Amino acid sequence: MELLTRKLILFGVCVVAAIVLIVRLVQLQFFNQEEYGKESQKNAVKTITLTPARGLMFDKNGHVVVDNRPTYTVTITPNEFDTLRYKEVSMLLGISEEELRAKLKEVKGTNRFNPQRIKRDVDFKTIAYISENEKYLKGVDFQVEALRYYPNDFRAAHIFGYAKEISEKQLENQVGDYYKQGDMIGIKGIEKSYENYLRGEKGYRFVNVDVNGREIGSVNDGRDDIIPINGSDLYLTIDRDLQSYAERLMKDKRGAVIAVDPNNGDILCMVSNPDFDLNIFSGPTDPKVLNDLMNDKDKPLFNRVTMTNYPPGSTWKMMMGMAGFASGKITPTSLINCPGGFVFGNRAFEDHGAYGSINLTRALEVSANVFFYKLVLDIGLDNYYKYSSMFGFGQKTGIDIPEELPGRLPSTEYYNKVYGVGKWTEGYLVSLGIGQGELGVTPVQMVAYTAAIAMNGLYNTPHFVNKIVNTNTKEEIYPKFDSRKIDFPQKWYEAVKKGMYLAVNGEGTARGIKNEEFILAGKTGTAQTQGNNHSWFVGFAPYDNPKIAICVLGENLGWGASFGAPTAGAIMIKYLSGRDVFNPDDQTVFNVRD
Amino acid sequence: MKDFIKRFDALLMLVAFSIVSVGLVAIYSATFTSDSGSDYFSRQLLFACIGAVIMIVISYLPPKYISKITYYLYGLSIVLLALVLIMGKKISGQRSWFSVGGFGIQPSEFAKLTTIMALATFLSTEEGELKLGSLKNFLIAIGIVLLPVGLIMKQPDMGTALVFLSFIIPVFFWAGLSPYWILTFIAPIIIAIAAFFGNIYFFILLGILALVFFSFKKNIILTSIIIVINLAVGFSTNYAYSKLQPYQQRRIMAVFDPTTDPLGSGYNVIQSKVAIGSGGIFGKGYLQGTQTQLKFIPEQWTDFIFCMIGEEFGFIGALLIIILYVILIIRLINNAYLCRNGFLGICCIGFASIFLFHLFINIGMTIGLMPVIGIPLPLVSYGVSSLLSFMIMIGIGMNAYRNRNIYI
Repeated sequence: MELLTRKLILFGVCVVAAIVLIVRLVQLQFFNQEEYGKESQKNAVKTITLTPARGLMFDKNGHVVVDNRPTYTVTITPNEFDTLRYKEVSMLLGISEEELRAKLKEVKGTNRFNPQRIKRDVDFKTIAYISENEKYLKGVDFQVEALRYYPNDFRAAHIFGYAKEISEKQLENQVGDYYKQGDMIGIKGIEKSYENYLRGEKGYRFVNVDVNGREIGSVNDGRDDIIPINGSDLYLTIDRDLQSYAERLMKDKRGAVIAVDPNNGDILCMVSNPDFDLNIFSGPTDPKVLNDLMNDKDKPLFNRVTMTNYPPGSTWKMMMGMAGFASGKITPTSLINCPGGFVFGNRAFEDHGAYGSINLTRALEVSANVFFYKLVLDIGLDNYYKYSSMFGFGQKTGIDIPEELPGRLPSTEYYNKVYGVGKWTEGYLVSLGIGQGELGVTPVQMVAYTAAIAMNGLYNTPHFVNKIVNTNTKEEIYPKFDSRKIDFPQKWYEAVKKGMYLAVNGEGTARGIKNEEFILAGKTGTAQTQGNNHSWFVGFAPYDNPKIAICVLGENLGWGASFGAPTAGAIMIKYLSGRDVFNPDDQTVFNVRD
Repeated sequence: MKDFIKRFDALLMLVAFSIVSVGLVAIYSATFTSDSGSDYFSRQLLFACIGAVIMIVISYLPPKYISKITYYLYGLSIVLLALVLIMGKKISGQRSWFSVGGFGIQPSEFAKLTTIMALATFLSTEEGELKLGSLKNFLIAIGIVLLPVGLIMKQPDMGTALVFLSFIIPVFFWAGLSPYWILTFIAPIIIAIAAFFGNIYFFILLGILALVFFSFKKNIILTSIIIVINLAVGFSTNYAYSKLQPYQQRRIMAVFDPTTDPLGSGYNVIQSKVAIGSGGIFGKGYLQGTQTQLKFIPEQWTDFIFCMIGEEFGFIGALLIIILYVILIIRLINNAYLCRNGFLGICCIGFASIFLFHLFINIGMTIGLMPVIGIPLPLVSYGVSSLLSFMIMIGIGMNAYRNRNIYI
């Protein structure tokens, strides 16, 4: 083939390719121009997201306990922002220039000409400055947004939890595409577990923009705009006054309090102390304050009601009683000899005193250790595990806040795993009988178990939320929580309850909180630890018709009778009578003895 | 002195400069509202100036100086392509960049240039003849191209790898391979595309191809084998498609109907079609394109720069730039034709094919004719490496014009 021919063929290929492109351009730009022109107009619409306020929370008597307040949030539309003004704007807002640049960085899924939130809760002076200098601060704007406000004299930090600006990682991992950069999302407590109700539905305002991205009026007179729907309101089970009272009692202590209505599992108050101020998380969080909080050696962010792993001490003995009955090893009238000490293998186990041959009720009243050493060996580990599981130990209760751990309920498998098959003996079990050893529980497990005993086996999952009300449709949702019957004969429960009655009203360790008006029942516990012992108390009242069940844990506060019992007694009487039985600052009112 | 000017390819240079200028204007418009907008423009301007100097200097170099160092340059490119896989910066899943003093350097852009030059050196002889006669030489020639292709596919950058395959056929064609063999190469590609559209197209086309093949009256057994292979290619295309990952299928489907994947691979195409279509005949005016200015189009200063031209300058602007490219490509082919030096001739043909391939694929993808393959619009898209390497190609093209009467 001639070179000339080859050249002409290549010319031809080039020209044909060009003609194909040109024909297509004619099609797009001559014939479809109108259609695409309209399409491009549609694109020149700026969508402004309207963030709904999060739902409110009310206590059981309808008092607002978590509220919102209007605040100013400064936004910047990256596309419009004059990059020469980084320094000025960062100084104005009191944030570093790097932080500002980072916030304006392109993030996947964000639109460069939609406003990005830069700083929340900005004071009015700054807002006034921004409005006055609108012309120079192109793209800098502000919105009114609702932030959390707590109109109470208590904190309830571990109950309410908090919402924070969504992290880049959470944005990436979210299911669906609801959240955008700068949105708030529940991180802890009720704010997290009811996030989908509390967040509401976003609204959108559509405005026309010119080529510089400036607004030139609303689209279709705002008829297409979508109004945001505020988050659903939550009606909680907590009692504002009781919560406040319990927090005052726990002031400067390390420990936990949780009280429930045993009839339905409604949590009346819950305190984990030390706690923290939720206002730290409302609005911009100072990283230093947050850091201090995280590194505090007393761990204020740790929820002691739901995440501890402490042995329950003698408050465990009712459980052993139930397990003894259920496994058929004893009856309410069976007697066990308690001579004041117990030797197993080559180890001696102590008791508080010699009680002779006693039944379970008496053993609970006087908190006899030997009774339960012998009982647990008789029951055996498998029954121990089986019946304790039935009362919710070794598993999460399902309380409606996300921070919960299951504790630790030893089983044959557990010991085989830790010590190896055949390398542990029954001697390991002895201390399990009195709620010591490798057993670990949480106060929420303890209160649920106490309530179940008080109710003759009705086990209700402790929970905070009774009702969710959609602010738009007024539709009411009643969340369902697990409620089950631990089906044992009533006389077994009566025998155990009688022991708890006598522990307060007889010769028991909690006799210091005996009350003439309301009959309290309960059991003290002292968990041995490396340092000072943990003080436990579980109880319920009134004895005949339980309306409150409670668990108090005092870390390193000594005997159950010295801290747990008086604190629990005061809260129970406060709830039943409405009176403050004693000034929380003066703990000598109860006659405390061991 | 008169001779000095007369032998200077002013036309090619002016066309190239015009295209570069359009590119600068477009980059300015596409980026002037963004954070680092002025950086893009001034960098491109700086390298356009540097490139212009290099281009003119190269046009005056004696051809044998150039051909002598081509194997070294080719070797260097291969080394860089290997290094970039190890030390390169990973950007959106691809490892194809070196970051040097704030600039991104993309070895694969230079490899396009050096591979063509190496191929040209190999295929040309001192006597001005082209050697493609033996099977051994043929395989070596293919090997020269496939080596960088393999490395680039590792990055992975399929678009750029395809570019390398685009110049093999034109260069072989120019080097004297008979139309029979050229057709043997092209046929499977055509058959695969046809089969994708449906078996009817595939059978009709295969029939036509068979007639054409037999009309060459070559060895009948060989021809039959070729046709059977094509038959197999056609049948396996649909099978291969069904074996692709769903996202890959979506990408292919989005070429034919972008609305099937409006937020994924179809997004760019929908947006760029809107931008170009809404530009109409005369465009919306410089810096007035709503789509461009509101940044609806990702990568609008690199791979999708043509949107800005189509939107702000309309059909007139788009037509003008296409005409400029056609002049440039035809001029390169003509220089190859005029030039007695085999090396320069093949270089020109290789460069012309690269320009045409880039032009067709890049503009084609913005107007929904071609799949979205990330390759730049030559001399226009922002990108230091590609700008320099395209300008060097023009310089060699000018050199071919200058030395059109010299054999060696």
